[in-house]
Amino acid sequence: MTAVPCFHCHEPVLTGSRFTAVLAEQTQHFCCAGCQAVAETIFENGLSDYYQFRTESAVKVSAMPEHLLAELASYDHPDVLADISRQHEQLTEIELSISGMSCAACAWLIEKKLKQQPHISSANINASTQRALIRFDSQTLPLSHILKLINTLGYQASPFVADNEEHVFKQELNRYLKRLAVSGILTMQVMMLAFALYFGEYTGIDTSHEGYLRWISMLLTIPVVVYAAKPFVISAWRSTKARQMNMDVPVTLALYYTFFASSYATVFQTGEVYFESVCMFTFLLQLGKFFEFRARAQAREATSNLLKIMPVTATLVTEQGPQSTSARRLQAGDLILVKAGETLAADGVVHEGTSSVDESMLTGEYRPITKTLGDTVLAGSVNHDGLLTINVTAPLAHSRLGQIIQLQQQTLSQKPKLVEKTDKLAKYFVERLLVIAVLTFLLWYFWWNPDRAFWVTLSVLVATCPCALSLATPTAITCALARLNRRGILIKNAQALETLPDISHIIFDKTGTLTEGKFSVSRVIPLHETQDDAAMLNLIANLERYSEHPIARAFLPYFTQALALDSIQVKIGAGISAYWQGQHIRVGSAAFCEITPVSEAMVYLRIGEQPMAAIQLEDKLRPEVPLLIKTLQQQGYQLGMLTGDHSSQAEYVSNQLHLNFMVKGCSPEQKVAEIQSFIAKGAKVLMLGDGINDSPGFNASHVSVAVHSGTDLSKNQADVVLLQPDIGLVAQLLQGGNTTARVIKQNLGWSVGYNLIIIPLAVAGFVSPYIAVIGMSFSSLLVVSNSLRLLKK
Amino acid sequence: MSIIYVLIPIAILFVAIGLCIFFWAVRTKQFDDLEKEGFSILFDEDNKPAAKHPVKESTKPNDH
Repeated sequence: MTAVPCFHCHEPVLTGSRFTAVLAEQTQHFCCAGCQAVAETIFENGLSDYYQFRTESAVKVSAMPEHLLAELASYDHPDVLADISRQHEQLTEIELSISGMSCAACAWLIEKKLKQQPHISSANINASTQRALIRFDSQTLPLSHILKLINTLGYQASPFVADNEEHVFKQELNRYLKRLAVSGILTMQVMMLAFALYFGEYTGIDTSHEGYLRWISMLLTIPVVVYAAKPFVISAWRSTKARQMNMDVPVTLALYYTFFASSYATVFQTGEVYFESVCMFTFLLQLGKFFEFRARAQAREATSNLLKIMPVTATLVTEQGPQSTSARRLQAGDLILVKAGETLAADGVVHEGTSSVDESMLTGEYRPITKTLGDTVLAGSVNHDGLLTINVTAPLAHSRLGQIIQLQQQTLSQKPKLVEKTDKLAKYFVERLLVIAVLTFLLWYFWWNPDRAFWVTLSVLVATCPCALSLATPTAITCALARLNRRGILIKNAQALETLPDISHIIFDKTGTLTEGKFSVSRVIPLHETQDDAAMLNLIANLERYSEHPIARAFLPYFTQALALDSIQVKIGAGISAYWQGQHIRVGSAAFCEITPVSEAMVYLRIGEQPMAAIQLEDKLRPEVPLLIKTLQQQGYQLGMLTGDHSSQAEYVSNQLHLNFMVKGCSPEQKVAEIQSFIAKGAKVLMLGDGINDSPGFNASHVSVAVHSGTDLSKNQADVVLLQPDIGLVAQLLQGGNTTARVIKQNLGWSVGYNLIIIPLAVAGFVSPYIAVIGMSFSSLLVVSNSLRLLKK
Repeated sequence: MSIIYVLIPIAILFVAIGLCIFFWAVRTKQFDDLEKEGFSILFDEDNKPAAKHPVKESTKPNDH
């Protein structure tokens, strides 16, 4: 049977004709109820144009879980709403980040649907940033309703507050656009006039006409040097004041020297004018900087979309019964109720109940820990199966989670400085260049020919103006960023790319980074002879279906056939029992099954009075890890692992992969200390991790990489984010860093070499400023096209 | 050739107007999303099933 593609998401329909709908008089097949519901909504609202014009298939719709829908209501609380929105007179303005958008037609679809609502006064969806800006009347239309509305179209929306830095980026980007327009459009005008002057040179031109064209050119150049070239002047001035000369110093000097020389020539009707070079020069440099900046701004936006704001609420136990409250308002001594699947809102002590709690994001411990009366629990960990009542001991700000976030902010200020190599080169180059220019002027003025001194110095400055040199790095980096992004590697900090070739040590986190962060069955130890493993695992899987515990999920792949079970009982923190074919079956811990524990086995099966099997579970390595580690070892990197896990699994993983060093049971503070001790020995460290407990370490290392499944916090902190669940991308990242470094080296080699050849000629007065301009443009083009090669690979 | 004394200033005037329009476009965020607007021409304002709703579309500007 050939599978029909789903009408909505184009994935093959495996359910036959179970989900069909008649849309626009045609029967369409769907892969799931979610896609069907969305398509029907779209047609009912008259938005079927979406299907006609979309360029990408939609993302498969996954229905929003019930409890999440209920949670949306917490956004409607006036306090919470005030935190995430702005008030414009009667209307509330809010920014939402929307996931699931695949093309511009999606933006149109959502916008149309929202505008059909009477209480929404404006809705603007940005397809490239995947954000929505909505103005609505929060009195008549609750926010949760808007979120649900977007959900009916198959997208997930969540409130979002852009950080300050992003606003600054946006404004800067607009300024770049304006400067580009000014320098670009005026360059065209000046160039046009320059051509008239070029031809005038050959065919003869009235002095009055020539003067007029020169004056006009000068007028048109003024906005370019005053407005468009302003950032160069500011940066040059700043760097001179700090005695750390950068590339902008000679750029500014060449621009203004050329401009004033040409103005002098215009006013006193002598010499040559080079207004077109001034303009073109500014335009080219602005263009290079603009592309670099835009690439960085886009990477930033993409990652800040990940930072969704969930209102952190808690259920407070009061005398009037359970009450919902904001987690920030919790005080020591409060009693809170935590249901299965919820995240703990504060540090505390278990007051009532038993459950297993997942602390892996905070400690790196991969096994859920059973918590019962009197045990301490941490904010940020997830309650798996039982109902817990917790006596709060510290408010959120003073919790372990709060401390880790604080530590991470402290380490940020100690982040090892990444020196821009080009800046170092620039400093060296600029100082010598200025000395040469001054010497040239003096030599010509006092010894050779005072009349030509001014013009020869001009050609020295123009010829050596490091246009190519300053384009060398930004163009290469921009191209590399674009290419890596296509492969699923998002680089947020472009300097990290320049540091990659120097990396000597790579440090991995274990749980969730090297391993999958979930359990899978590793070995079945039979305790009775006559049983086949598959049937036994199927039996266990049947029982485990009734458990919320993460261990239960390990058996999911072994579920082959449904068995008729009776009187199923789940005992939290212990196991599950049921009757099957008249026999009492127990699955769970050794104590629950009354079996003497077998080495490291975590799950036991007992049928009637007979112990049947013990099952060992492990957190399996990701399938791509062994190959990645082998490749990296061959390339000569020192590999190590820092994990918060205390168990023997750490050694097992480390030995299996032949890592150079391994420290287990690390707190976030210890991770930072370990990394800093490597850096003190002169190592350049790249760290790869996923959890909250890795984020302080991220800031301590030179380059940090967050994996696809990582927490929002770690993705926000990292220099690099992997967008696909494949940590093998790290090898590509390192390779990309090396290729980029090679291209930058070639670019720098060319532009420095060109300058070395042209300087003596210019000093000797052989290079007329016209030739200097052509040489400069040619070498800039060469550098740019060399960088563009990075895009193709 | 004295016509250039008139024509070039006029050309400059047009350039200035063009730049002003560009600045205005940047200020009103017209460059924020270059993908979606390209599509907007493809979509009809009113579809047959949408006939139930067109009132909302047309009366909206008068709401406030």
